[in-house]
Amino acid sequence: MTRITRAAAAAAVGSVLAIAIGGCSAAGGVPQGTEDDPITITFWGSYGNGGNSAQQEVLDKTLIPSFEESHPGVEVKYVDVPYDDLLQKLTTSAAGDELPDLVRADLGWVPRFADLGVLVPLSDVMDDFDELADATYPGVLATNLFDGKYYGLPLDTNTRVQITEPGALATAGVDTPPATFEEFVALGEALEGTGVTLFADGGLGAWNIMPWIWSGGGDIADEDLTASTGVLDSDENIATIQMLVDLFDSGQVSSGIIGNEGAVSTSEGLPNGDYATILDGPWMTGIWADQFPGFEPVYSPVPAGPGGSISVVGGEDIVLTASSQHQEAALEFIRFTQSEEFQLALVPTGQLTVVEALGPKQVELVPGLEVFTAQLETAKNRLAITQGAEVDTILNEELTPAFEGTVSVREALSAAAARIDELLAG
Amino acid sequence: MSPELRSAGDPSADRGWRGARPAGTRPPDATRARARRLSITPYLFLFPGIALFAVAVLYPILQAVHMSLFDWKIVGSATSEFLGLENYRRAFADEHFWLALGNTAFYAVATIIPQIVIGLAVALLLHRRSPVQPFLRVLYYLPVVTSWVVVSLLFRFLFADQGLVNFVLGTETSWLADRWTGMLAISALGVWKGIGWSMMIFLAALQGVPRSLLEAAAMDGAGPWQRFRVVTLPAIWAALAFVTIMLVIGGFNVFISVYLMTGGGPAGRTDVLLTYMYEQAFGSLEFGYGAAIAVILTALVLCLSLIQLRMFRDRNGGFAE
Repeated sequence: MTRITRAAAAAAVGSVLAIAIGGCSAAGGVPQGTEDDPITITFWGSYGNGGNSAQQEVLDKTLIPSFEESHPGVEVKYVDVPYDDLLQKLTTSAAGDELPDLVRADLGWVPRFADLGVLVPLSDVMDDFDELADATYPGVLATNLFDGKYYGLPLDTNTRVQITEPGALATAGVDTPPATFEEFVALGEALEGTGVTLFADGGLGAWNIMPWIWSGGGDIADEDLTASTGVLDSDENIATIQMLVDLFDSGQVSSGIIGNEGAVSTSEGLPNGDYATILDGPWMTGIWADQFPGFEPVYSPVPAGPGGSISVVGGEDIVLTASSQHQEAALEFIRFTQSEEFQLALVPTGQLTVVEALGPKQVELVPGLEVFTAQLETAKNRLAITQGAEVDTILNEELTPAFEGTVSVREALSAAAARIDELLAG
Repeated sequence: MSPELRSAGDPSADRGWRGARPAGTRPPDATRARARRLSITPYLFLFPGIALFAVAVLYPILQAVHMSLFDWKIVGSATSEFLGLENYRRAFADEHFWLALGNTAFYAVATIIPQIVIGLAVALLLHRRSPVQPFLRVLYYLPVVTSWVVVSLLFRFLFADQGLVNFVLGTETSWLADRWTGMLAISALGVWKGIGWSMMIFLAALQGVPRSLLEAAAMDGAGPWQRFRVVTLPAIWAALAFVTIMLVIGGFNVFISVYLMTGGGPAGRTDVLLTYMYEQAFGSLEFGYGAAIAVILTALVLCLSLIQLRMFRDRNGGFAE
């Protein structure tokens, strides 16, 4: 045997032994890796998305080093993927069995990937799952539930509140942002002829339209998720959507709401004074601080209708993939994400904590988040089904003609409800 | 292998041509062995290309056909349910599929004709000798080599509500908020980006137009239009056929510009077949249905290409043979 082949054989035997030992240690719960020969867990997310580098910096420079220090032998490799590409990357990686150990998944994606069988049910593998889960907001935790098991833990949460441009209020001659549907419509009337559009949004999906529907006293489906007909096409919802359609007709709502990619975006139009109000999340503060330094947005609850002021829950969950080779270390990192250190470090960057008990500390840390924290108390989840993307498509496709005036609001809502019925039945 | 090809590379055939080999006698073994060896040579030359085609084109097509017959689960461990032709039946009954097909056809027609007409006109102008000619050629070809992503975003801003197009025209049209104006904006990008490519092919073809024929026609009193119609056009017919077929294939495969300029919106009304397929596959994880749409598109493009080949061949007495 030549020297090279002997060396290769030795390396092969060494690799086999290393894999065998690694496997044993994983099974026995012994920490994997050593300081000299660390193991690496890979974590995909989109913290750096939207030009907001602040979140990724906190993760890369503070949180991951802190975890690595307290867990010698484990290295965390964070890979940032733009939000728009993440779903496709996860899908193709699932097909190719190339998923990372951990994923920061949009809360709408968890049932979908759990259904594909590529996630580990955390409620089965974590002894302390109940303890960690009980500490989080129930609404956000529920986004991890699929088929009776929890496939993730909430990582961060957010919601949409009303954000107003102070100059528009001055133009309309009012001091405070509209607090009710009536004041919202009245502000639109006051702004007529001023060149300022009352409201703008980027679509008619559930994320966009549900705050209006819930605040108007309606819903999208019954509580047991068996039918949408009779719920989505209710009189309350017809009145709410008609209000928006009427405002759209009079030019008080930007055409971005029906998917016009040529409309000025909400993130630009608000600080530029094109729009008076938008609904958006806490991350906008960071984005505007970079791009529009002089802009001082006014945050207030979603205008209240007959149902109150109710917004939509957003955020991300952390999930463990079934293909992970280092599940023990990955679970340790998941536990770390639920700690006060992790949760509060990201608060100043626009990430709301998912741990209920940390709510007051969060407001102390960033007083500007008070409106978001309060809004979150009543915020609701979108439909907890695997076909969330189809629901958005249906709402966009069926409601757009109502805004364009080619069908009535009642017809549009009935058509959407009928299609959502089919999804719920499937 | 065709008989012509074999005789061209076969020394024994050469002897037969001269009549040296008596009819009915068997050639010596060594000669037959050499003939066999030589006869595999063309295959060896063809092999790399065919192998690449098989791996990169044929296999994905067959795989797509296979997927289209199932409710395809992307994860290898999951079982995909066999549906037969259900995905195809679903496509033909799906209104949105027909809308996307209509938009694709609109885009193809709206981009192919201008690209040919303007491309040919520019090629005729740039064919004349002039000091600025190389500069202008580069200028016209520049859009072809720029990134689709960059120019799609650029055109989205041009056609935005507060964009340059509205500013120049003095209009307040929401170009990207309506199906037909949106498709028009997307087609404008397709034409702008493609003219340089067709121009380059036509320029190359114009080099081959016999100058003597043009001069003879001029001597006979033919005007510029007659010279173009009777001399130039027949001479560049093969290039015209090539450009048309390639543009039809390209037109039916439009994706990036639609995806980035309108995202298929509003409410999916500017969807083309490929954006709809992408949405079905990656948005709704309906990979079987997405594959069926892809197979239908492939079959459609194949049929259109064959029809065009036949049309151009008939017109030119067999150019495509």
